[in-house]
Amino acid sequence: MSELYASAPIAIRGDLAAAHTRAWERLGRPGTWWDGGQRAAIAAETRHAPSCALCRRRQEALSPAAIEGKHDSLGVLPEIVVEVVHRVRTDPARLSEGWFRRVITAGLTEEQYVETVSVVAHVVAIDTMTRGLGFDLLLLPQPEQGSPSRYRPAGAKPGGAWVPWLEPGDLTEQEAGIYPAGRPAANIMKAMSLVPDEVKSFFDIVSHQYQGPLEMRDFSREYRAIGHAQIELLAARVSVLNQCLY
Amino acid sequence: MLLRASGLTHNRAYDLNSVTGAVQDDGGVPHGRLLVEFAEAVLGEDEEALARARAALRAAIGPAGLADAAGVVGLFNAIDRVADATGVPLEAEKAAASADFRAALGLDRFDVSARG
Repeated sequence: MSELYASAPIAIRGDLAAAHTRAWERLGRPGTWWDGGQRAAIAAETRHAPSCALCRRRQEALSPAAIEGKHDSLGVLPEIVVEVVHRVRTDPARLSEGWFRRVITAGLTEEQYVETVSVVAHVVAIDTMTRGLGFDLLLLPQPEQGSPSRYRPAGAKPGGAWVPWLEPGDLTEQEAGIYPAGRPAANIMKAMSLVPDEVKSFFDIVSHQYQGPLEMRDFSREYRAIGHAQIELLAARVSVLNQCLY
Repeated sequence: MLLRASGLTHNRAYDLNSVTGAVQDDGGVPHGRLLVEFAEAVLGEDEEALARARAALRAAIGPAGLADAAGVVGLFNAIDRVADATGVPLEAEKAAASADFRAALGLDRFDVSARG
């Protein structure tokens, strides 16, 4: 499971390499609302987004809405999916509920939206780490055939986010285990819960690339080669650079 | 919030201005300045600055520390996007516990609910 970094110049913890392998292979598999080819295309578009001229012009503008045009895309995905991938990748701090509603009105379902955001997040998490370490980007996975499951949790309903979410009390057997035991579910987990498999996959990465929900609050011992304070300083600085309050 | 909680647990006062880039020292966190410079370089576009920051951090905390630091930077670069793209609010208890330093550091301007 750890072949991803087998020849890397800096050793990567085995549990983290295994988590990345699970996540990376899954990117090319049929998901819940996108098939393997579409998921792999979203991953590829995520990497392509920083070179988009429209995104560059929007980043430099006082308001991204003031700049119209067509994205430079790889030409595989519908334009509305490209818009979501590029905006989430290149200008997330200026996303708004109004923009989100327009995306949904344009034809993307809320479920497809959540899965798209999740695929982007998986790629960004891993690509940013490898960039930090000076590694080559991982080769994107080959798409696997099959149909998406199209599973929508029956208990999902409007909550505090733009997208519907699952409260812990509304989980059924099919969604069991998406939230940690012994702690309240964080809103960031609920925000992805419209697509439960994405919660499982992304927070598998979180637990290994950052810390698990219990470890992050256990200040009595250290679980990584850097300490809690160092971890949280990095986390907070990144979030400020990204202009993200959460 | 967890940075402050970590400091309280160990009876250490961390300078939370470190997270805004307003101070140029370690802020009380071991190798804090190098960690901040590394995070800034990873998210930036200057490859030479990133190479320098990476080498300096590796020299200070070793390859295993560098790997874990890069992991945290990568993870939060992603989780910030999930938060921003879903309009997720802070949990009430986190909002209450962080109100003072959010105000002091001017972080509330990033509140997703304030975006039109």
